[in-house]
Order: sequence, then structure tokens, then C-alpha cells
Amino acid sequence: MKKKALSLLLASTMVVSLAACGGGGDSASSSSNNNSSTTDTPSNTTDAPAANTDAPADNTAASGEKQDYHEVLKDGLTIVVNGTLTASVDNGQADFEKQWEDAVGIDLTIQQLDHSGYTDAVGRLFASQDYPDAMIMSAEMFKQYAPTGLLWDMADAYANAEFQSRVTLPSINENLKDSEGHLYGFAPTYGNGCVTYVKKAWLDAVGINIDDVKTYDDYYNMLKAFHDGDPDGNGVDGDTYGVVAAGFIGTEAPWINYLPEFWQGAFPSLYQTADGTWVDGFQEQATKDALLRMQQAYNDGAIDPESLTASTKIAREKWFSNDQKGSSGVFTYWAGTWYRTLTDNLIKNEVNEELVQLPPIKEIQDTFGGYLNREAPVWVIIDQGDPVHNQAVFDALLDTMLDGGTVQTLWVYGAEDVHWSTKAEEFTTNAGTDKEKAYSYADGEFHLKPSPNDPNTVWKKNHLDPALTIAQLTNGFTDNDELAAAGNKFFTENCVDAPASPVSETFTNESGTIFDAKMACITEVVTKNGNVDEAMQTYIDTVGTIIDQCLAELNQ
Amino acid sequence: MSKKKVVTSGGVEVREKPLGLRIWNNRGYYIMFLPVLIFLLIMHYWPMLGVRYAFYDYKPVGPKTFVGLAHFTKMFSTQAFWTAFWNTLELSIANLLLTNISAVVVSIFLNEMKNLFAKKTLQTVIYLPHFMSWAVVASIFSLFLSPSSTGMVNGILRDWGILKEADKNIYFLASTAWWRPIYWFIQVWKETGWGTIIYLATLSGINPELYEAADIDGATRMQKIRFVTLPALSNTIITVLILNLAKVMNLFESVFVLYNNAVFEVSDVIATYIYRQTFAIALPNYGYSTAVGLFRSLVGCVLVLACNHVSKKVRGRGIV
Repeated sequence: MKKKALSLLLASTMVVSLAACGGGGDSASSSSNNNSSTTDTPSNTTDAPAANTDAPADNTAASGEKQDYHEVLKDGLTIVVNGTLTASVDNGQADFEKQWEDAVGIDLTIQQLDHSGYTDAVGRLFASQDYPDAMIMSAEMFKQYAPTGLLWDMADAYANAEFQSRVTLPSINENLKDSEGHLYGFAPTYGNGCVTYVKKAWLDAVGINIDDVKTYDDYYNMLKAFHDGDPDGNGVDGDTYGVVAAGFIGTEAPWINYLPEFWQGAFPSLYQTADGTWVDGFQEQATKDALLRMQQAYNDGAIDPESLTASTKIAREKWFSNDQKGSSGVFTYWAGTWYRTLTDNLIKNEVNEELVQLPPIKEIQDTFGGYLNREAPVWVIIDQGDPVHNQAVFDALLDTMLDGGTVQTLWVYGAEDVHWSTKAEEFTTNAGTDKEKAYSYADGEFHLKPSPNDPNTVWKKNHLDPALTIAQLTNGFTDNDELAAAGNKFFTENCVDAPASPVSETFTNESGTIFDAKMACITEVVTKNGNVDEAMQTYIDTVGTIIDQCLAELNQ
Repeated sequence: MSKKKVVTSGGVEVREKPLGLRIWNNRGYYIMFLPVLIFLLIMHYWPMLGVRYAFYDYKPVGPKTFVGLAHFTKMFSTQAFWTAFWNTLELSIANLLLTNISAVVVSIFLNEMKNLFAKKTLQTVIYLPHFMSWAVVASIFSLFLSPSSTGMVNGILRDWGILKEADKNIYFLASTAWWRPIYWFIQVWKETGWGTIIYLATLSGINPELYEAADIDGATRMQKIRFVTLPALSNTIITVLILNLAKVMNLFESVFVLYNNAVFEVSDVIATYIYRQTFAIALPNYGYSTAVGLFRSLVGCVLVLACNHVSKKVRGRGIV
């Protein structure tokens, strides 16, 4: 009997120990994957914020308790950022931090988490009660966290901010307010989006003029020509593709931005119609039509088949790879600075670098399928339960971020004499190669310097894209990269705002299951020539009840 | 109250000393054991407390709410969970059988090789894949099996005329028909060499007199393999199978690097299902992930006990 009892005890222990290995638990720590650049000041991240009490604190908008932030933030400021702070640890972050501290007058601690695993890392940070003062969130993360009570409502602080007189795009943050006027996140830039790039040399090789590509049929014929012909000039027809993308649908909102010409008027997620009703766009006829277009393109070789599983990195690298066999002529990717980056990579790989931006084809103009301006990433302030402290964080971090001068320059271009300079300077990139390029600047002339971690590449920007900020610099510093400027101009002239993401508890809990069901439907139709109605019915059978519950919550 | 009595090595019956005194007398051993005990408590037993979250709604933000068995109810009513569960068993058990069969066959071949240099070289070559990370293996095979015009396997099939001009390239890793065979092939390629080590050790321990006796009896090489080598290996084969059967629920890395959403129905396993439920959404419910993990561990435990039972029947002694 004793032996049996002992066996049972051992068995239970074994189950529990195995489970503990796989469980989420609360032992997660940010220390293993952050790149904390410490200061002498102890971090004030250990106290649980107000939201972690039973009821969220209703300390709306700081109640005007404004004090000198130097006094309030004597212990310094801790922020959590993703890879959009390009001044990373190996790319001059210490200098950026030092110059920020000198300019603002308080200590700063930066925890930079892995960009691709940022959402997960933030979740673990919060689960271990390790809260920063402020942090970056993607629009989708923000929508999930905004109703939790964790974030401070900065509506009043925003309204009274110093930068207000210089804001040129007030609608960006006004649109972030909820129905009761609460503002839980601040977007210093607008969202940006993707545009379609076409290789000029390939167009010439197949005898197509970009100005003649005006409709979906024109676009599709161009893709077919890129596949059926020999646009890369290697003497083999049919070993290239029309377009490559990182998935037939994106993994985050706005979902359709990598293949807008195929999605056209479809928006395969929950969205709000003009009359305010939330619907599931995935079940609409427009989505079925889009899937059939992709099915045909997949069968015809107009889409690179690896688009099904390609990550953005793989899609990019295939597109500008040195060996253009298996590459594609068309790539829809981020506008602005990426126009320059894609061109630079083509040059680096010794591929003809001339790109043209395709104006939106007729079918996507002014629809969901247009060049979507995504919802902007935001800065949020973690509610510490003390309105004075929260207001001080806003004043020190966010108000100065758009001061038009010293601090904004740090966020836009990085550290002086590390990332940029106004001193007379001459330098050469790729010296001794056929890509050698010499730069020469006079004293007082603003210019970007070589990247700290890659002397052969000129630094582009830090956290804020100068072309996207909602309030411009007033010191006249500007980087005159003609490609980036042309890319931004092209995008702003041709973009439409992406639909807002839904905020629903069921959607939050089940978004992974819903996405899996969508992917099953898309792959069934596009890659397996499945019947679109049957595939859609399977989607409805799998997650229809969940979707109905989400819509009921959203429409109540 | 009568004290418990013990018999000394000399056969004398004496009263057992109190526990405290016994510990004091052996304090040197206990002090040596102390660091291990502390390590076990902190690293293995303390995290076990996290299991309670299987019964809570536990998100990165907000209070933890007790929900009883709600997560288990949801889990058992979710089709994706059951797909992952059966896939785990099917993929793992087939893995186990295939890698062990191939390891036994290769071990016997190696054992039969007379040229020592060739034998050692071959051994080294087949061990090497084991030391490659799964991420590297997945990248290599993804390139080989690519459906685009640069894919080597599709190129060979086309050159050999197996794929006609009108045929599309095969997307091996995104095809529900091809994914599992490819996965098992990669597993066998990567792990067979490593699996041969234990069998070669056993083979080297077989008494040469048995082979000499078989030679005297006029046995052929195949007969010697069948009647001497395989029976000598059988106990090891059973032990390896039993020990590995207990680990079948742990399948993750190899699947994670090779699967994609086009083949979830044949490739998604419990660990990848937990991963997506935990890390692929902005505000995950760790309670649900923990519940699925707990169920997985429960099944693993049942398998361990079952293996132990089988081991007792087959070998006369258990493994735990």
C-alpha cells in the first residue's frame, strides 16, 4: 500500500514537473533578451502600476498636476523599445542616450527588445511585473492593451503639449482617441505603408511601359510577361516570376498591404462599414474574388510560389539577390526610406538598380486594396498610479520628442557627430571597389555620417522618419536623399487610411485561432486549387461561432 | 513505545538510531548533497507552482481570475488541439520506429565492415548531421526542396523527365501529401548516425565465441546476423524504444522549423500549438497555454508508466 501511495506521489510530481517545463509561468524575465544600457540611476520599474490592482485607476489625464519633471523623475526614466530605435547598442545607442540625458536633464535607461519577438517579449515583461515608464507599441498591440487599464490616459497632456502649435497632422492622434475621448497612446509619426516597386530593366526587357499599366489586366499581363519571358537575360524563359510577397496575407494589420493589386476591394478581417457596423470582411464576396485571382496567378507562375511561406526577409533577399534566376520583377514593400534601401541593396548585389513605383491601378484606387496607410505605432505611458509622475514622463519623453530642435533631432537623426554632423567632413564608402562613393561637406552643412556599425553605409535615420513626423524640425536639418523623398511623396499622394483594428475580448483571445483558419482557407484555394465556397464554409464551420461572438461584442 | 529495530551487517539486531542522530553522523554526505537539493528545489520544484495557472485566466495585464476547468473544456472542444494531439503521437512514434530501425540496420552494416578506415570514416560522416542545428537543417532542405526555379530537387525531377513541361514544381514542404515523408526522411538522415552509437557498443560486446560456434555450424553471414547479432541487440532495442517512447510528447523544434500554415493539418503538434497560442497573439492567456501543457505532461506521464510496465514484463525490471 505504501509503495502504491509513493508511486502515485512520484507520478503526480512527474506530471507537475513536466508541465512546469512547458508552462508560461511567471518566471519570465526580460534580462536575457534586452540590451539594457544602464545608467547609474536605479530603474523604477519594479512597482506594479495602477492597472494591476483589482480595478483600473481612473486618474484620467493627470488632472493638471504638472510639476517640473526634473524634480519628479529624479530616479530617471526607463523606456522599452523595439528595433525601430535604429541607434541600437552596436550602432551608437550609448551616444544617443548620453546626448538625450544632457539635453533633457534626467537619466535614461533603454531596454531594447528583439524586434521580431517584441510582442511576446513585452508580454513576458508584464507577466513578470517588470514595467517601464513608457514604451513603444504597434497599433495592434496598442488596441489590445488600451482597454486593460495599464496605460495612462494622456488626452489632457497631449492637448496641452508644447509641440501642439507645430503639429501639422493632428488627425493622427485624434483618431487614436476612444469614444470617450481617452488617449492611451501617442503617435509621433503617421503609419506609412507599402507601394509597388517594379524593376525598370525587366520592364524594358519585356517591352512594357510602366505608364501603360493602369488596370488589373495590365498589371497581370506584366506579371505574366515577367514569368513567361526572360527579363533577367540569362537566356532561359520561365525561370523568373511576376511578383514575390511575404505571404498571401500579412501576419498583422493591415493584412493586405503586400499584394494590394490582388486583394483590391477586399479587407479580410473584421472592419467597420460606413454605417458603423462591424463585419467580417473575410467572408465577403470581395475576398472570394481576391482568392480566385491569386489562385490563377499561382497557377500561371505570376506569383512566386514561395510567397506562401516566405518571411519578409526571404522575400526581400530573393528580390534583390545577385542571381536573378528565381527572382521577381514586382515587389510591394514599404514606402519612403525603403525606396532607398531596396535600391542600395540592388546596387550592392550588382543588379540593375533602377526601380519605378507603380501608381495604384484603377481597381485599387481609393479602396481597401489601395496603398494603405497603416495605423501608426504609438508610445504609451504605463500608469504608475500617480498622475504627477505620469505627466512628468509625458513632459520629459514625449513632449521633448517633438521639440523641433535638439531632442527631436536626436530621435530623428541620432547623436551629433556619431550619426550626423554639421562639421566639415569628407569620407568614402566602399573604398577600393567599383561601388566607391566619396562624400564631401562644408562646415555648417548638415549631413549624415557613415553608420557606426557599417562604415560603407551612410546612416539613414534613427527612430522617427523625418518624412513621417507629425511636427517638423525647426532647425532646418534635413537629409536630401532624393529617392526617400520621392518615395514619401509618392506614397502620400496615393495612400488611403487602413481600417481601424477591432477591440474585442474574444478577438484578443482567439486571434491566433482565427488567423489559422484564414490561412487554411487561403492555402486551400490558392495553392491547392480548392473550391472557394467550400473552403469558406470550412472557415465558417471552424471559427464562425467565434467571429459571431466578436461581432456581437463589437456591435453592442 | 517500541523502537524500530534494524539488523547490522554482522547479523546483530539493534534499535534504530533517531533520525536526527543518523543525519548528524552522516553530516558530511548531507552537506555535500545540500547544493543539489537547493538547486532541485529552486530550479525544478519552485516552477511547478506555475501549474496552478492552468485553472486561472492569466494574462500579462490584469488580475488572475480563477476559472476552474474552463481552459480544459475549451481545449477538449477545440478541433485544432485534437489535430495537434494526434499529429504529435503519429509523428513521434513513426520517428521513433524509423530512426531506430535505420540505426539498427546501419549498425549491423558497420559491424560487418572489415575495412577499419572505411568503417571509421563512414561512422564520422553519418554522425555529423546530428550536430547541425535544426534551423540550419531546415534552411538547407528548404533550398533543396524549393518550388521556385532554383529548387534542386524539382530541377532534377524536371531534368529526368519525371516532371513534364506542363507540370508545376512540387512544393514539398507545403504539401499535405509530401510533408510527413519529407519530415521523416530528414529525421532519419539527421539522427540515424547518432542512434547507431549505442547499438555499436552493444555489438562490440557480443561474445566472439558465438560467431565462431555459428561458423563451425556452417552458418552464412545472414544467418549469423539473424540468429546471433539480432538476438543480442534485442534487449538494447527494447530499452531504447521504451526510454524514447516516454519522450514522444516533447516534439517541437524539428517541426517548428519545417512546418508552415499550409500543412498544419498534418504537422501541427502540441508544442507548436502551445507556441502559437502563447506567442502569436498580442495579449495571450497563459492560463490556456499552461492547461494544454499540463495535459501534454499528463499524457507523457501515462506513457512513462506504461513503458515502465512493459519494461517489467519484457525485461523483468522497470526503468523508473
